[in-house]
Amino acid sequence: MKKIKTYFKVWRLNASNTIQELLVNRATHLLFFMGKMIKLSMSLLFLFLIKEQVAQFANYTTDQVIVFFLTYQFIDVLAQVFFRGVYLFRDRIIRGNFDFMLLRPINPLFQALTDHPDINDTIFLIPTTILSIYIASTLNIHITINSLTLYFLLLINAFLIAAALHILVLVAGILTKDTEGFIWMYRDMIQFARFPVTVYLEPLRSILFFIIPVGMMITIPSEVLLNLKPTYSIGVAFAIGLGSIILSLRLWKWSLKKYSSASS
Amino acid sequence: MAMSKYPKLFKYIIVLQQYWQNLFVYRMSFVVWRLRQFLSSFTALSVWSVVFANQKTAFGYAQDEMITYIFLVTVLYNIILSSSLNALSGEIYSGSMSTKLVKPINVFLSLGFQDLAHKILNFGFVILESLILYFIFKPSFIFPNQSYELIFIAWVALAALICFIINLLFGSIGFWSPDSWGPRFLFYIFLDFTAGKLYPLDILPNIIQKIVYLTPFPYMSYVQIQLLLGRLQPNQILPITLTMLAWTVGLILIFKLVWQKGLKNYTAMGQ
Repeated sequence: MKKIKTYFKVWRLNASNTIQELLVNRATHLLFFMGKMIKLSMSLLFLFLIKEQVAQFANYTTDQVIVFFLTYQFIDVLAQVFFRGVYLFRDRIIRGNFDFMLLRPINPLFQALTDHPDINDTIFLIPTTILSIYIASTLNIHITINSLTLYFLLLINAFLIAAALHILVLVAGILTKDTEGFIWMYRDMIQFARFPVTVYLEPLRSILFFIIPVGMMITIPSEVLLNLKPTYSIGVAFAIGLGSIILSLRLWKWSLKKYSSASS
Repeated sequence: MAMSKYPKLFKYIIVLQQYWQNLFVYRMSFVVWRLRQFLSSFTALSVWSVVFANQKTAFGYAQDEMITYIFLVTVLYNIILSSSLNALSGEIYSGSMSTKLVKPINVFLSLGFQDLAHKILNFGFVILESLILYFIFKPSFIFPNQSYELIFIAWVALAALICFIINLLFGSIGFWSPDSWGPRFLFYIFLDFTAGKLYPLDILPNIIQKIVYLTPFPYMSYVQIQLLLGRLQPNQILPITLTMLAWTVGLILIFKLVWQKGLKNYTAMGQ
């Protein structure tokens, strides 16, 4: 319990530093915020235009497709809120600042993942979540208490998978001194899940369910919420969540043994 | 002295070669960048294929027309909008621009050739990637009979020039501030939705189309493709050409003003 308190205190301190940074660069952050709002608005506009013209999107109604998009939006932003530090990891490696993380009495993985919470995305997450709930309430979809409970459990599982994928990016950073390409690749892959992953051709579909399991993060929870038969069973989704976090932690430990300071 | 026997532009060809050499030092970054572009086109083609799975037309486009549109926009994006100038503002702010300013070369020609090197490389790769996409989706391309190749090439060149000047303008932010990413992020977000990358602009509601046409974005690939698809009336060609020319001249004038003001403000201590 004491350890959790200490880690929370460290995270809070990092968040406070990030808020101060944000206040210094107010104009830039305002532009980022506006950009994100425009992106969301235009994406929703596109989906509603499709809804007007297309009755069926593969095996889903267009209302159901909107739920897939809203789930993607939530998970993608949530991961950025907590794991923005990963985007800065390359710089830490190249400048040798990761050495300091290794010396501190705080888990270096915790520091690398969470030392720069994204306040801009936190602010963005609040209105967009409210908007998403409102949009979902206007759609012609069938949701029950059971499906909603399972959905939340699967969202926690999705967050675990997102954490695992971010840890893998850190591992790649330690091994190749580059994280930018990998993290943006992850962002591109998760964008596939704006639509149900089942609409893509094989072998991409299987890759998106089992190799970079964005399908397990977004498609399965959305299907469960909508009371549709999930493409793969919920047990498989949880197994992949647990498996991916265990695998990523092992790889992280292994990669630390390969680490050599690039600079100092 | 030995250089004098070569044409004046020779030194800029060296800039072009140097840019390629530098790019291939970071091969992994380039491969990942290309893979990302490929995935983006793959997603768009997949989504539109699903949209047309149960119907022959949507938004006034037949399936073949829409797929042709997405293929063309992929290629044009890589020619017109790919840019090597993303780091320019950092170079200016940090002072490392000084080395370019004191060399006996024209800075803008040098940056232009650097941009050209970037575009040529991207164009080569996008052709390869399009071949892969062609074999995956097996589309039937639709091109009308009338030939506007020369106008098309002129519009592509003008759009590339507009994009180059806009990137120089973003770079100029470095004279005053290290943060050019905010405006640049907003610009690319606008571009993604208003240049027709994900969908043709004429599927948008009229009011949004009218607003979008007040910006230079529709001229950065959408109108060129509409021309090739035969979806423009002959009487629209001249007004579009004039608008593009007006944007080019206007942006050049704004850039000249900003660059001159910036140079007066420029300091490069410790460089």
